[in-house]
Amino acid sequence: MNALDPVEAALSVRPVSGTPRPFTFPAAERDRLSGGLELVVIHLPGRPLVSASLYLPNGAVDEPAEQGGATVLAARALTEGTLRRDAVALTEAAERLGASLRSEAGWDATVVGVDVPVERLGPALALLAEMVREPAFPEREVERLRDQRLNDLLQAKADPARRAEEAFIETIYAAGTPYARLAGGRRETVESLAAAILRQAYSRAGDPDRCALVIGGDLGGLDVVALVEPLFGDLTWAAPGAAQAGPPPMIEDGLDRTRVRLVHRPGAVQSELRVGHLGLPRRTPDYHAVSVMAMILGGLFNSRLNAKLREEKGYTYGAGAGFDFRRYAGPFSARAAVNTDATVPALTDLLAELHRIRDAAPVEAEMRAARDYLVGVFPLRFETPGPIVASLGGLVTFGLPPDELDRYRPAIDAVTAADVLAAAQAHLRLERLAVVVVGDADAVGADLERAGIGDVEIVRDQDAPAPVD
Amino acid sequence: MTVPTVVYTDERLPNGLRLLVSEDHLVPVVAVNLWYNVGSKHEEAGKTGFAHLFEHVMFQGSRHVAKTEHFALVQAAGGSLNGSTWLDRTNYFETVPSHHLELALWLEADRMGTLLDALSQENLDNQRAVVKNEKRSSYDNQPYGSWQEKLFGHLFPEGHPYHHPAIGSMEDLDAASLQDVAAFFRTYYAPNNAVLSIVGDVDRDQARAWVERYFGVLPANPAIPAFHPDPLPLTLGGERRETVPDRVPLPRIYAGYRAPTVGDRRLYALEIAAQVLAGGKGSRLHRRLVRDAQIAQDVALFGLGFVSGPSVFVGWATVRPEAAVEAVEAGFFDELERISREPISADELARAKALIETDELGGLQRVGERADRLSMYATLLDDPGEINHQLERYLAVTAEDVRAACADVLVPANRVVLTYIPAETGTEGTEAA
Repeated sequence: MNALDPVEAALSVRPVSGTPRPFTFPAAERDRLSGGLELVVIHLPGRPLVSASLYLPNGAVDEPAEQGGATVLAARALTEGTLRRDAVALTEAAERLGASLRSEAGWDATVVGVDVPVERLGPALALLAEMVREPAFPEREVERLRDQRLNDLLQAKADPARRAEEAFIETIYAAGTPYARLAGGRRETVESLAAAILRQAYSRAGDPDRCALVIGGDLGGLDVVALVEPLFGDLTWAAPGAAQAGPPPMIEDGLDRTRVRLVHRPGAVQSELRVGHLGLPRRTPDYHAVSVMAMILGGLFNSRLNAKLREEKGYTYGAGAGFDFRRYAGPFSARAAVNTDATVPALTDLLAELHRIRDAAPVEAEMRAARDYLVGVFPLRFETPGPIVASLGGLVTFGLPPDELDRYRPAIDAVTAADVLAAAQAHLRLERLAVVVVGDADAVGADLERAGIGDVEIVRDQDAPAPVD
Repeated sequence: MTVPTVVYTDERLPNGLRLLVSEDHLVPVVAVNLWYNVGSKHEEAGKTGFAHLFEHVMFQGSRHVAKTEHFALVQAAGGSLNGSTWLDRTNYFETVPSHHLELALWLEADRMGTLLDALSQENLDNQRAVVKNEKRSSYDNQPYGSWQEKLFGHLFPEGHPYHHPAIGSMEDLDAASLQDVAAFFRTYYAPNNAVLSIVGDVDRDQARAWVERYFGVLPANPAIPAFHPDPLPLTLGGERRETVPDRVPLPRIYAGYRAPTVGDRRLYALEIAAQVLAGGKGSRLHRRLVRDAQIAQDVALFGLGFVSGPSVFVGWATVRPEAAVEAVEAGFFDELERISREPISADELARAKALIETDELGGLQRVGERADRLSMYATLLDDPGEINHQLERYLAVTAEDVRAACADVLVPANRVVLTYIPAETGTEGTEAA
């Protein structure tokens, strides 16, 4: 390069970044309403679109096996009408406020919320309260929601990623235990869901300490306590000393050896891969070390899996791995969709990376990349009210202390390479793995057998839609 | 309620780079968003998918940045980043904690100026394989994955720049060469073909100084080819239908229409129509097909705006297993016909506007979105100030405007209908013009 080249002169020296402007997680004010419900308020100047969410302690993990899917469907049914107005009237009332009502349940909790301009927060919260306190569970709407869920399960069979998820959890968890099914339930149980069961699922007593109303946005000049007390003050979930749910659910390993399950998708141009096992609950003592480990293995763009499978080999559009942290031990999985020809080579590389991160501590550059990302991305994650509210709600759901988010960055910064190695050795269990492949069994079955990863079982869906030339 | 005005500066460097800067110090983050005025519409026959493949090459390093280092540096800075390719443009963007702004600008300038120094056959082959897997994941191995290619194939004639999909064809991707990459870069990746927006926790003068330093030295390309495709009529001039047997459990009907070009006010009326017809539980199609008749699993309607020809207005309805495809189709088109005939109610109009207002407020909260929209309006309409006029344009729409726009667009002679059916019960695809 010519030393006088102006382009070279301008670009040859990589800039050194300046001093970070401090960012602290926005302060939350906590109160208890008269009935015991915790109220968490985050005042965010300049954010006139307010996000409000009520966290209720009933999750899909709490429901009996024979009612699988009831909690998710019950949450969905909350927007299907109240004792005062039907679904359309409820929706229209919200729309006139420019508000969208949401109600979803997952494994850990039911979250009912609304996003609305601050000027109309009062009436929007009143609608939220009406939904939560006076749900109608109309028979006809419940039946329709149930049928839509059944149709959605049909659709899932034809979607390779969703089919792989389903086969994966059925393999890593013992049959009959909650996490072996989808949070929304399987056909066998969803078919029997009716309004009475949804009502029961919705009112199932959980831990009242995991219940809170979280509101974030530009709330300057508003007396939020006075606003919500008449609406939620005597909500019964929050009653101190409310009956606890029964014993904790059984979360049981379904693997006694490595199992390879090949779900036949005739003529598929890719194989959808899932490799892993039962993982960890959110409240795991070495959570921060596990987080850094997962970033290095399969979180960052230049994670070992993506660097190998995508940027070196070109087998996939993207490969990753991680822990799905729930109240109880959710799955650990590594994943990629690879071209059919690359199925066995990609699996071999993927398994090699799982071994490598258990065999030796990461180098300092990898440690720095993962820690710097997790620490540095903090202000980006919490730019707007929605994610701030969701994070504080998550603390409530998981029973984590209020200062958890303040402790997060120092805790990540303190993770060492030895901690990461210890976390990998403690929590990646490579001698008993689930290896799920959704792909063309005729094209990859024999190679998969020869690869000697484990016994190969071919799954042929009865109702799988046919391929097309 | 008021949606805040985005205050920004708008200037051009001597080499033609358009620079838009907007300060917002609420959170210590800053968004950098670079739009290049090149998209899949600029591709020649036999080279489809090239603009997008090129976007991947842009992450493979430049003179002072190693392969994959662009991602590494931005992520280590705690940033998020990506690029995307669409029919009218290609964009690259990152949001970073504000003290890393200079790094982000340097990275973008280094690849705008010196990409070819790092180009290798190995990297091109690698990203070709990645893109082919992207095509398999996003389209070929997905239920209904071919709808967009088929719809656009019918809406735009062979040879029109919007006829082929941005992801391209496997054959054309295989044929892409290093010479193609170099030629494409020299033609289109020049400062005078780009808009750079910087939004967030930044000092305007400091940002300008860095941009002048890193981008100011890059030469303009005085010979960017003009792009003026032959104009197409804004309506199709006759219904087209195709039945598509696919690996799907439920049939689905897609309807696609030619719609007015971006900049035409009728697009705002059509967006309001989409909200009234299919935006949530209170909408007409949802109530009729999903809730009351219970013959559809879901419905959707939305517009895709384009500048070099007609935009596209698309809808679909998924048919429940026990229902007749014909019944869903009849109900779907009946509602589209009704909204073209009778003005929507005052309440429907007010509700749609209230939701759009909230959406604007929500979208403009994020610095990344503001930067993207500034670049978009500058690139597509030569007027970044459009960012501050969107809401008023929606609020100005009347019930009669909605009816009239629908009457112009949502007519049978202007539509393409794709009917996806489960393959085992289907026959070979039929096509009728």
